[in-house]
Amino acid sequence: MWSKFDRNGGLFIAAALGFFFIGGLITTVEPPLLDKSWATPLAGLKDYATLAKSGDTGAQQIMQGRSIYVREGCWYCHTQQTRTIEADTIRSGWRDVRSPVSTPDEFVYDKPHMFGTRRVGPDLSRVGGKYDRQWHVTHFRDPRSLVPGSVMPPFPWIVNDPQELDALIAYVQSLGRAKEWRPAHDYEQ
Amino acid sequence: MSEAVMSTSGPPAAAEHEDRSSFAFIAIGALFFVVSGLVALIIAGKLQFPTLMGSVSWLTYGRMRPVHVNGMLFGWLLAADMGLCFYLVPRLCGVKLWSEKLGMATMWLWVVIVLGAVVTLLGGMNQGLEYAELPFVLDVLVTIAWVAFGLNIFMTVFTRKYQQMYVSVWYIMGAILWTAFVYITGNFAVMGTAGTSQANLNWFYVHNAVGLIFTPLGLGIAYYYIPKAAETPLYSHRLSMIGFWSLAFVYVWTGAHHMLHGPISQWLQTVAILFSVMLMIPVWTLVWNFLATMKGQWHQLRDNVPIKFMMAGTVFYLLTCFQGPMHSLRTVNAIVSKTDWIVGHAHMAVLGAFSFFAVGGAYYSIPRMLKTKLHSEKLANASFWLWLIGGLSFFVSLWIGGFLQGLQWNDPTIPFIDTVKFIQPYWAVRLIGGTLMFVGILFFAWNMLATYVNRSHAAAE
Ligand code: HEC
Repeated sequence: MWSKFDRNGGLFIAAALGFFFIGGLITTVEPPLLDKSWATPLAGLKDYATLAKSGDTGAQQIMQGRSIYVREGCWYCHTQQTRTIEADTIRSGWRDVRSPVSTPDEFVYDKPHMFGTRRVGPDLSRVGGKYDRQWHVTHFRDPRSLVPGSVMPPFPWIVNDPQELDALIAYVQSLGRAKEWRPAHDYEQ
Repeated sequence: MSEAVMSTSGPPAAAEHEDRSSFAFIAIGALFFVVSGLVALIIAGKLQFPTLMGSVSWLTYGRMRPVHVNGMLFGWLLAADMGLCFYLVPRLCGVKLWSEKLGMATMWLWVVIVLGAVVTLLGGMNQGLEYAELPFVLDVLVTIAWVAFGLNIFMTVFTRKYQQMYVSVWYIMGAILWTAFVYITGNFAVMGTAGTSQANLNWFYVHNAVGLIFTPLGLGIAYYYIPKAAETPLYSHRLSMIGFWSLAFVYVWTGAHHMLHGPISQWLQTVAILFSVMLMIPVWTLVWNFLATMKGQWHQLRDNVPIKFMMAGTVFYLLTCFQGPMHSLRTVNAIVSKTDWIVGHAHMAVLGAFSFFAVGGAYYSIPRMLKTKLHSEKLANASFWLWLIGGLSFFVSLWIGGFLQGLQWNDPTIPFIDTVKFIQPYWAVRLIGGTLMFVGILFFAWNMLATYVNRSHAAAE
């Protein structure tokens, strides 16, 4: 019976695509239909792209910073997801306060998504508010002056461009802020 | 059954093969292999010396990394695989390649795509999605090239002289069909989504780029060259059918295992885990088939270079595909995910298994298509050992370093930066292993070039 498939090209094509589409459709098209939480924004989540279009300068800055983050490939070294693993919530946390885990409703407007796959550097999903502006400026110019042993590259062309620098910092400071979790005063320093 | 289409004495070659586009594709593949290898050494060097070439924007880590990944996947491996398909499909069908002209045009289009990729990626035009970094225009060109390649292969198959299609032909046809949909999903459909939905499509694509593009092409190639190069019939036709159809069914479900513990539905994670474990079925049937084919032929490992590559590739394939299901178990994933263990795993699949198959195929076919001898068997053998030793030190150092780093991450009393300092020596070993492999790549490319240049001379001898 099986040998029909290796003699008849048409039958082969139909079967190969049939098998593919069963799993393909169930794992790509169907999940967002079934699980509405993927597309339901968290209450208070800001849609920076739309705000930027309507002239909000703060949102424009964050969007520009985001595009720099994409352009420079920061996302090859940094993830943006606090996973359902205890150590993640402690590492993303602030002093003794644990950070909430990342949920799909926080990322509804993220385009492209920046979940990432590799942690050469730490996760950035809750980094907004962890450091002050001056820290980031110094860090982007020379990461090792603040954190000896770091392998993060320096980004002189960003630091030397005031507009890009402000934008990138604004973006980094916006990360993980939709969930109100960081205790009263923000900056560690 | 299989002997009918793949016997060693075989029916007399029904057609005079030109092999122009086959050769050209393998040649550009070898060239991009060298270039992407060089980029690989630079970015591995940057992890030792972070300021290396660090003052120029287009040489920064985050711009060179996608050049390396896309260069290796599309510039080297896919080009070489397409070249080998142009060699073996006509031979298995007993006819000439449907159109050498179309094949050459596809090859030139591929060169344009790869050069375009280098320029746009270094320029910072990155779409921000892994494996789908290239801008829309290049995505369209890739699609056109793929349709042209597919048309050429399918027309060759449809005009075949031998009715029965050997298993390699199924794998290659399957790859062409699946790739069309996988690529469209991962590069076009994905752009209309955001957040978790987008990540899900992105991982569907990334996973299936390996699982439904490189895997079936690589396996189709291995299914051809192992019996050919060892001059022995394939062990079992039935096993190869079980392997193929279980691969066709199982692979596509597993993309979400890249997001275990992440912001994505639990049930989808569980589905991905179940199917990842089921992947053992196609893998073990195939490996069993390959090893059983070699029964009584193991002495050939001593001096048959293509067979060395094929068998080492088979072992790497078995190991990678044993790791894959293991990583997708939640407890193991909590340790290895996001670490360099995964990087070691990915390299063993693409650089270990599938590149070994492609290189073994190239060493076997190039002299035959040029009707000459390989320039140097010694050099070919040296490239094998460089790759084997370099590859093993590369993979193993990343597994050990990555696994231990993962354990450290799970102990939040250890500052993150200490885990970076910890893994650095392992990265150094990786760099050394990578350097050995790069020398192997140079030997390979040089051998190919010299074989080509000396072809008429050697044939006259
Ligand atoms: C080669 C990998 C690499 C790249 C590329 C990279 N980083 Fe980093 N990053 C690191 C490492 C390693 C650390 C940890 C040591 C340190 O703080 O410098 C880090 C730390 C950070 C931190 C501090 C996190 C914390 O919680 O302490 C921020 C913020 C950051 N990076 C932002 C960025 C941005 C923005 C970019 C892109 C412009 C970028 N990184 C590119 C490796 C990288």
